[in-house]
Amino acid sequence: MSDDMIILQGISEVARLHLGWQGGDLSPEMRLVEDLRLDSVRLMTLAAEVENRFRIFLDEADELAIETVADLVAVVRRKLGR
Amino acid sequence: MAAETLLDYLDCLGRFPDGGLRFVDRAERATWFPWTEIRERALAVCGGLRALGIERGDRIPLIFPTEIEFFDAFFGVQLAGAVPVPLYPPVRLGRLGQYLRGTARMIERTRAPLVLADARVKRILGEAVALARPRLGCKTLGELPRERGEVVRVGPSDLALVQFSSGTTVDPKPVALSHRAIIAQVEILNSFWQDTADFRHTCVSWLPLYHDMGLIGCVVPALSREAQLTLIGPELFVTRPALWLRALSRYRGTISPAPNFAYGLCLHRISDAEMEGCDLSEWRTALDGAEAVTPAVTRAFIERFARWGFRPEALTPVYGLSEAALAVTFSALDTPFESRRFQRDALSRDRIAREALEGREIVSVGRPVPGFRLRIVDEAGRDLPDGRVGRVWIQGPSLMEGYLDDPLATARVLRDGWLDTGDLGFLMDGELFLTGRAKDVIILRGRNYAPEEIERAVEGIPGVRTGCVVAASWLPEDAEGGRLALFVETARDAGPEALADLPEACRTAVLGAAGLAVDQVELLPPGTLPRTSSGKLRRAEALRLWLAGELAPPEPVTAVRMAKAMARSGLAYARLRWGREEG
Repeated sequence: MSDDMIILQGISEVARLHLGWQGGDLSPEMRLVEDLRLDSVRLMTLAAEVENRFRIFLDEADELAIETVADLVAVVRRKLGR
Repeated sequence: MAAETLLDYLDCLGRFPDGGLRFVDRAERATWFPWTEIRERALAVCGGLRALGIERGDRIPLIFPTEIEFFDAFFGVQLAGAVPVPLYPPVRLGRLGQYLRGTARMIERTRAPLVLADARVKRILGEAVALARPRLGCKTLGELPRERGEVVRVGPSDLALVQFSSGTTVDPKPVALSHRAIIAQVEILNSFWQDTADFRHTCVSWLPLYHDMGLIGCVVPALSREAQLTLIGPELFVTRPALWLRALSRYRGTISPAPNFAYGLCLHRISDAEMEGCDLSEWRTALDGAEAVTPAVTRAFIERFARWGFRPEALTPVYGLSEAALAVTFSALDTPFESRRFQRDALSRDRIAREALEGREIVSVGRPVPGFRLRIVDEAGRDLPDGRVGRVWIQGPSLMEGYLDDPLATARVLRDGWLDTGDLGFLMDGELFLTGRAKDVIILRGRNYAPEEIERAVEGIPGVRTGCVVAASWLPEDAEGGRLALFVETARDAGPEALADLPEACRTAVLGAAGLAVDQVELLPPGTLPRTSSGKLRRAEALRLWLAGELAPPEPVTAVRMAKAMARSGLAYARLRWGREEG
């Protein structure tokens, strides 16, 4: 399984556990606001729980360009690569 | 010791060396700073600011998360005689465009020569700062000159703080508070909790530092008493509410305030496992304010957390607003909270409070705090008797000087020393019961939002009639918190597909613009929303009509109706002339 798939599964798990996501695995093109319907509290929760799960730290500049699940996967991959 | 300015509190440090600030991170590790060290750090910032040419009275926006640098900046700015303006840091994963525009607007509004920000925040502020163009730009504390500078002496009438009561691009409301006002409020708060030789109160707070309940409610009192204050970042609390209660237990907190929704989060987002070993019995006062207190949440919280020692009489509903610095009314401490039921129709239709076994339950927010007076007045400003719903006006020693640089807006709410809070309620047996708001501000999750902010988000969606959108919040009975409604007039030429997609499109737009989920989207025919004679939308009236099921379009004017109306008036005129009775 590719790294991206593993990361995607991890994020999907976070969505299920902490955001009440009832669907299957998230798909990369899903937008956080339009498709996942995340309000500001749930966006914060997603960021914090993704950090906890992957033991990484996201800062404001990292989060700048995250609009879709794929964006989030890319940032996590980059952080894990360190 | 009679303090006249907040700086006097910094001057008097050293009586209680074990006082200070404790920051708790997500792994529950603590970092400790004694108040004396905080003063030293602030003096360094003061020196840097003076070297840059910052002068007495300059307004300096501060953008920091909950961390020691916030305090270095806050007190450093005050020591330099300038006025701190705490702004909120960016929301996680939020839409940056809105944040930057809103922040630029607030910076501009304060006419600030300089913005201070955390290094990480500064990296993304570029656009906001470019738009607002403060003379000295944006600096981190590390970028300030390392010079020793003289402390600038200010007086009680000087501004101590400017606080935006709701962050918005449209109409920011910067509340200007003098040192005198803040000292007065802190003395009021301190009077509720006495320290003794053997016992000292300690507070735990996750509240944002750019919000009055956190800054004026927790920080300044702790400084004035040289007490211990434990702080958790608000974004940490919201994602892991257990951190709050665990910190209360670990650090034996005796006081902690929070808005209603926070108690609700604890109900739904904390597992029993996370509470293992917790003891909340030292938590004597759980203040509940900043938004409506719902009985559903308060009772459930008391019931659930009794298991870990939470005292039912600790829950203390309170009422206040940033225009009054903070607290206006307090329920009795160490007493179970009080609520009563009132006849629904009498309340909503006749604005009279009559107790009824089966009525709408409203929680009392208590009596005016020492030094404050309260009046309930009608639309014409005449005092109403007990049990009659009216506008809440207040008078007290911690009222704002006004809205910064805006005498017109100030004059609209501050008259002859009385502040029109814009809230509606009634008095009964000396206690205040709030029923709603006359002002348009939306309060959700303890935060204020300007309705324009939300309305603007949906302008431009195909099918939405321009300038014909109202956003309003209301509190359904038995609900755990406020709900958000959007009333949208549809464009005359809107096609069926556009209309079908409209509610969803509106929700998405509001989610993106404000991070808020809309609970109810109501599509209305053109012309339905009530307006003033000058054409302004009447938000409170729209909400009232909708709740009463009466939000309907005016009757269409057709030729036949016109003729009938004219005939009726002609007939009446004829009768008048001939002195005949109405048949």
